[in-house]
Amino acid sequence: MSSLRQAATNRLRAWAMRRHGRDSLPISIQRRRIYLLPTRFGVMLGAILGAMMIAGLNYNSNLALGFAFLMSSMAVVIMHHCNRNLQRLSVDVTPEVDAFAGREATFEFELRNGSNLDRRDIEVRCLSAAGMGNAAAQEGGTIEVIAPVAQRGVTRVHQFELRTRYPFGWFYAWTYVQGLITIYVAPSPAGTKTLPSAGAKGTGTHSEARGDEDFSGLRAYEPGVPLKHMAWKVLARGGEAAVRNYSSLAAQPEWLEWSALEGMDIEARLSQLCLWVLESDSAQRPYGLRLPGREIAPSGGAAHRFACLRALAAFGAGES
Amino acid sequence: MINERVSYEQLLGISGCLALALLAHVTTLPLWVFAIIVACGLTRLWLARSGRGAPPRGVLIAFAALVMPLLFLRFHTFNGLVAGTALLSVTAGLKLLETKTQRDIYIITLIIYFVSLAALLEGDSFWLLAYLIGVCWLTTATLLRATSSGPAPGWRRSLRFGGRVLAQALPLALVFWLLFPRFAAPLWQIPNDSKTAASGLSDTMSPGDITQLALSDEIAFRVRFDSAAPPSQERYWRGPVLDYFDGHTWTRSTSGIGGAPPPLQPQGPAYRYTVMMEPHQHRWLFMLDWPSSWNQPRAELSNDYTLMEPEPLSRPVDVVGTSHTHVQYSEPLKPRTRMRELQQPQSRNPRTQQLAREMRSAHPDDMELVGAVLGMFRQQPFYYTLTPPKLSDNSVDEFLFDTKRGFCGHYASAFAALMRAAGIPARVVTGYQGGTLNPYGNYWILRQSDAHAWTEVWIDGHGWTRIDPTAAIAPERVESGLADAVNADDTLASRWQRKTPWFAGARLRLDMLREIWRERILDFDQDSQRKLLEMLKIPEPDGQKLVMVLGAAMALAFAWLTWQIHRELAPPSKDVTARTYARLCAKLAAAGIARKAHEGAEAYAMRVAQERPDLADTVVALCRHYSSLRYAPPSARITLGQFQAAVRAFRPKPRPRLAR
Repeated sequence: MSSLRQAATNRLRAWAMRRHGRDSLPISIQRRRIYLLPTRFGVMLGAILGAMMIAGLNYNSNLALGFAFLMSSMAVVIMHHCNRNLQRLSVDVTPEVDAFAGREATFEFELRNGSNLDRRDIEVRCLSAAGMGNAAAQEGGTIEVIAPVAQRGVTRVHQFELRTRYPFGWFYAWTYVQGLITIYVAPSPAGTKTLPSAGAKGTGTHSEARGDEDFSGLRAYEPGVPLKHMAWKVLARGGEAAVRNYSSLAAQPEWLEWSALEGMDIEARLSQLCLWVLESDSAQRPYGLRLPGREIAPSGGAAHRFACLRALAAFGAGES
Repeated sequence: MINERVSYEQLLGISGCLALALLAHVTTLPLWVFAIIVACGLTRLWLARSGRGAPPRGVLIAFAALVMPLLFLRFHTFNGLVAGTALLSVTAGLKLLETKTQRDIYIITLIIYFVSLAALLEGDSFWLLAYLIGVCWLTTATLLRATSSGPAPGWRRSLRFGGRVLAQALPLALVFWLLFPRFAAPLWQIPNDSKTAASGLSDTMSPGDITQLALSDEIAFRVRFDSAAPPSQERYWRGPVLDYFDGHTWTRSTSGIGGAPPPLQPQGPAYRYTVMMEPHQHRWLFMLDWPSSWNQPRAELSNDYTLMEPEPLSRPVDVVGTSHTHVQYSEPLKPRTRMRELQQPQSRNPRTQQLAREMRSAHPDDMELVGAVLGMFRQQPFYYTLTPPKLSDNSVDEFLFDTKRGFCGHYASAFAALMRAAGIPARVVTGYQGGTLNPYGNYWILRQSDAHAWTEVWIDGHGWTRIDPTAAIAPERVESGLADAVNADDTLASRWQRKTPWFAGARLRLDMLREIWRERILDFDQDSQRKLLEMLKIPEPDGQKLVMVLGAAMALAFAWLTWQIHRELAPPSKDVTARTYARLCAKLAAAGIARKAHEGAEAYAMRVAQERPDLADTVVALCRHYSSLRYAPPSARITLGQFQAAVRAFRPKPRPRLAR
């Protein structure tokens, strides 16, 4: 039964995909793409309403019949209300999501409700996970969907689903949105090897007593630089945004090399590299990543970290 | 969401709704059923209050196994309306006891809906309907609170929402109700519940057993005459005829029922009228003496001229009939019937038989003898009272010679017994007499207090002749607070009611409303639907046309509903310029280029021009018009009307599909 249902759902999703093509986000949900079915309790309600009508007809009781008709019409009205709960709701999603294998990816869906009606109990389903949220009249709301991701790699989600059972839960209305979400699943950080520089400690000079805190000049601001390195005084004087350069940062960069991990299997190598990226990043020292066919020049900051993690995620997938 | 545990508050709400719905059954269900349900509800609430869940499954099954046989012992079936309701109610109680999750709340809600409907199958008052709709309103609001995720919406909000849903449902429900085809006969035989004690008349009469006649104000039936009503002394509504006498009790003999009624020759005017019967759990219909035609195809006249249905009346019935108040029997009495109508036990009431023989020898003519007996009632100190003394087996003897106090039953019984003893065929007829005119609705009300008994004697050459011996009593001997004797023109109204005329007036007005409710709502049937279609100027209405009209009306109602519900999404903007611009954007969105939330008119026009060069000129011009209407000084504008016309005329073709 459930496999039949699954098959029907898949057919419908594929059909919606063909029918509407790729949607440009944010999208306002139109009535013709909202589907609606009774829930289990809706079917039960239908059976009871049918029994009520037959009882009224059989006993030839006009009052009972009127009551049964009123209840049935109420069900029809509720059906419309359920459909309306999604209609003209605007939805957007962060198109790129970063995650580590074996942990969760967090999707952020942004609802905008331009109408004068509160939208309650809106459920977003994405990658077999779901999140629930509200959007009050003339306001927005954020719904987080947290889905576990097991495999390293770049995953593309082509479709997500908005769904609601409000009000009463007799019916559920849903719609498919064809929005592209790319999930970069970096390898799970693990490994036993220490950073290459730590192993070659004797030869280096940059990590001696002068330490991280030695100020050695200013350089231009770039996104992703830790806030505590910002030259706030320069900015306050009305100058350009600048970053204080420290001698350790300016020092010789760390190269995280694929070739340094000879003899391990691919995923273990990637995991080790991932751990090194995170360690180097938290040590706030410049690092570069060298993978077969891909090289990321040494740098620091959040943008650089993401670039490295995404490169690890995309490794072997022919991804640029 | 479904598997969420219910809170104490949710339980309290749904239990309250169930209790209110069951309250509508308080007169029909046995009290112990209520006791069980209340016990279940209170136990569950107490458990929830102290933070515990439902009792273990074993306890519930054991409890159910205990209660269900009890129900079966009481009703012997689960098929009837009362038994079915009892079963459903107890199930709801048990469900309440085992309520764990929202799932159970849904099921209890469905039971509440059905129990409410069952109450409407039994009762038919406006107030019951209003009450039950109120209960369902409350139930729906409770369900909304229970099924919303996150914090439950407040009571006021939920009730307002429920009320709004009900109001929006009303037009569609009305269309359904008016036009849904009704069946002439039920789909299957309705199980006949052994109802509460039948009120009104029965087919036996033993006045000697009654020491206090309670006069009930309950309405037996209403009558509307097509033209003028017959005078009061001719308004006798014929019920069962009692023709077997054992000296104490008059009974309806079973042998008299079969066979066609003897032919009658009507005399005087014919009266056409409609009797609106209340259900009374007997088979007879009360027609004006003597009925000649009626519109109930299944009803038949018994050979003593009582109209009988094949089944007891369990629901209101309207009978259109014609009667003549004066008739003449054209055939002589058959010897067998004469034998039966003369029968009485020889061993009982010896003094009466002695009196009858004496009077017979003094008055050989039948009508003279009747007059003499009526004269005796008038001249001797006979009293009319509702609290007569109890009589023994020789009831007629005791009444005529000792107590001389009684009501219509005593007089009819004694008179018929005297006639039989004197050799004149006689029988007792029970029914109703008189009635009150409701001037507001121009119909007559016959109450249980109008119940009456009179006699018929066979006069050769004339046939059965109605004699009402109670009418012979002198008015000054009418006792016990009765202002008017039964033969007087008015009903036996209570003293208080006569002292406060406005109360009587209000009562009659209320009854008129009840009568309208009955005629327009309760009796709405295929005939009324045909009249409705005739009013809509549909020629030769039949079932097929009815269904077509229903379809059309439903489509209209649906369209209205859709408009009504979706209108609230975006209330029409007061700003015509903005509205016209919104229409332009909607047209473009339909053509495949929707305006993005951040795009202004100019930027949007540029993007459209890029994506659809064929629309570029028009769209850029239109967007520029919008901008100038919004922001430019008045002199530089095109008029709003021109802008509206241009937008109306704009019909972008949809984007050509790209092959993929």
